[in-house]
Amino acid sequence: MGYSPGTAPEPLTDLIAEVSAELLHLREVRAEYIIFERLTCNPGNKSIDIDGVVFDVKPIVFSQIKKSERAALFICTAGPEVGEKSRRTMKEGDLLRGYVYDVIGSEAAENAADRMQEELRLAVAGEGLKITNRFSPGYCGWDVAEQHKLFSFFPDNFCGITLTESALMNPVKSVSGIIGIGRDVEYAPSQCNLCDDKNCIYRGRKAESRKPPIYW
Amino acid sequence: MDQLLEKLLTCVEFGKVDIKSPYPPAMKDQEGAFELTRHALDDGISPGEILEEALIPAMSRVGQKFSRNEIFVPQMLMAAKAMNSSMIHLRPYYLTGETKRRGTFIIGTVTGDLHDIGKNLVAMMIEGGGWEIIDLGVDVSTEKFIEAAEKHPGAVIGLSALLTTTMENMRKSVAELRQRFPGQKILVGGAPVTADFCRKIGADFYSPDPQGAVEYLKTLT
Ligand code: B12
Repeated sequence: MGYSPGTAPEPLTDLIAEVSAELLHLREVRAEYIIFERLTCNPGNKSIDIDGVVFDVKPIVFSQIKKSERAALFICTAGPEVGEKSRRTMKEGDLLRGYVYDVIGSEAAENAADRMQEELRLAVAGEGLKITNRFSPGYCGWDVAEQHKLFSFFPDNFCGITLTESALMNPVKSVSGIIGIGRDVEYAPSQCNLCDDKNCIYRGRKAESRKPPIYW
Repeated sequence: MDQLLEKLLTCVEFGKVDIKSPYPPAMKDQEGAFELTRHALDDGISPGEILEEALIPAMSRVGQKFSRNEIFVPQMLMAAKAMNSSMIHLRPYYLTGETKRRGTFIIGTVTGDLHDIGKNLVAMMIEGGGWEIIDLGVDVSTEKFIEAAEKHPGAVIGLSALLTTTMENMRKSVAELRQRFPGQKILVGGAPVTADFCRKIGADFYSPDPQGAVEYLKTLT
């Protein structure tokens, strides 16, 4: 929410604790990945071809994925409940509580992605393979409209997520993307160093708050 | 300024809703925005004065602090809650027409987009700036914006979009609104929107945060 440790106003810390306890019962958090073996990287136009579908990922993502031998496409979601709770609570007039639901929902989606990523890392480690950071359409110059290509690989309603014509995932608290897999790929401890978006609120912060797992 | 109004301003600025609210700790057990507004009215201070001299300046301070990253969304919401408790007493005066708003602001998230937190914050702060809000919700079609504009002549319209894909829908909505109502004032915002995009699609004003929009609206009244 922007506060540095210890500076959040009192009622907020209580409220976060209360809402987190309530949401512990969230059973709708889901995350899945599918690994693809047929991967071709085209340095000419910085695109990645997976099973004949060409992803125009742009230079930043390309530079990280290009040494991959395989790729995992993933989606994760906190489920519909938390977003609905947020909306309902805000409508009823409790804006602060509604906002706390919203932020925790985002956090839950990101956490699901962290865990999925860790599972993937372990799954391929046995073969001596490493993984890259995760990259999402709509970040690092990769057009969010490419969500449609991504979703073309997933069965309908995969993880309970549907994609609208405008490339929006429903439930809103969802994250999608790609992770490169290979012997020579690298994980960048601070993903923000890869990106040149000066307006991103994650800029610089993400590296601190979301510390990479110790094994990297 | 009247001492009571000054106290009320502080309560709203720091989110002190009523005597029961424990926050902020320094104001514990003291009367909050709810009670002070009642006293002000009982003392013969007009609803207009309460609004112009306490509530609007309080929300303006809040908006400015938010723009400067001195406070974050939760404190803005707490201030809004305090303001709402004050408005409980003032609302009847609007209904009778005794007190007037600065204008009407229609807001919605564009077609294909379901994001509403940012839009809600903007609506809330503009309400705090003394405007009546018509919130059309999310996934709002151009037709709905047009309908609302017809129903509220002279209203200003605000559009929000959070994805680059739905920014295209914003472009279309603005173009159609322009065509239908050439003099219509249109504001745009949302994380991926920029001043440059605003200019290109022919909207009147872009602001990265609610306070910029409040300031712009002031210039229209
Ligand atoms: C939290 C977050 C998430 C969370 C929650 C999403 C949600 N909306 O609930 C999670 C992790 C789930 C997520 C997922 C995704 N995200 Co995201 N996310 C964000 C983030 C960091 C903050 C959004 C937020 O809640 N902000 C807080 C609110 C209060 O701010 P706001 O809505 O922008 O509103 C403020 C201003 O914009 C302004 N404003 C808003 N409307 C209006 C209107 C007017 C008239 C005015 C004057 C002002 C104004 O005032 C508000 C208050 O200050 C932004 C980055 C950022 N810098 O904002 C990216 C961002 C929105 N995400 C982005 C993307 C791409 C995605 C994904 C598509 C990634 C992916 N492939 O998985 C998914 C999409 C999810 C979906 N359902 O389809 C992009 C969107 C731009 C684009 N490229 O299209 C952003 C901008 C990041 C970026 N690349 O810079 N995301």
